[in-house]
Amino acid sequence: MLVLGAIQVAFVLYARNVVAASAHEGARAAVELGRNVNDARTVASEVVRSSAGGLVEQMEVAVSVQAVGDISVVRVRVTGRLKSFGVIPLRIPVGSVATSVRKEAPA
Amino acid sequence: MSSSDQQGQALIESLLLGMLLLVPLIWALGVLADLHRSALATAAAAREAGFEAATASSDATAAAAVDAAVARALIDGGIDPAEARASWAAIPRLERGAAVEVQVSYPVTVVQAPFLGRVAGPSIWVTSRHVARIDPYRSL
Repeated sequence: MLVLGAIQVAFVLYARNVVAASAHEGARAAVELGRNVNDARTVASEVVRSSAGGLVEQMEVAVSVQAVGDISVVRVRVTGRLKSFGVIPLRIPVGSVATSVRKEAPA
Repeated sequence: MSSSDQQGQALIESLLLGMLLLVPLIWALGVLADLHRSALATAAAAREAGFEAATASSDATAAAAVDAAVARALIDGGIDPAEARASWAAIPRLERGAAVEVQVSYPVTVVQAPFLGRVAGPSIWVTSRHVARIDPYRSL
């Protein structure tokens, strides 16, 4: 039981890292030339799916764009819940926020 | 030693042995997760800084853009940018078609205590390097 708990802790830590990386990838995608906030959602979701499989459930990707002077700040928030499969019957929430900057507002 | 004297010994031994094995395992998990997180964050920071530097018009603006991009990416990754080292270089110089190389390093402290965080001790440096190409047809 202790070993299973340790494995679940490892999955939580891994999922947290993957979610953080997906948020950054999404934010980066939104500021690239010819891409928009919809691409951010797609990229972030795809990163989590390809890296963590079904480990993260109820995933939500929220993208906001804030204009600050001549730049716009894209903020991507990825949240979800870790699938419960081990000895701890909790669906542990994971989430991360990433920001990226572009000179002009995304379409 | 009679059997009554040995009652409960197996339970205590199991608990002690379990703790002895489990504590290093949890500690190793924490360090490995921190290494993974740092590797992702430094890679993101180096890439972001490379893109920013490749679109800068001068060395001064490139340096400022690199610092800002690295700090932003590391904070997003849950890392203190004050402890990171970032360096960049334009090869041969900041001009059309040149290469911009960015390197970001971050020390992951090996000795960490749960709920207390970092404890003084050796660190593993995680380093990421990114090379971006300056657009040969850019206006500046």
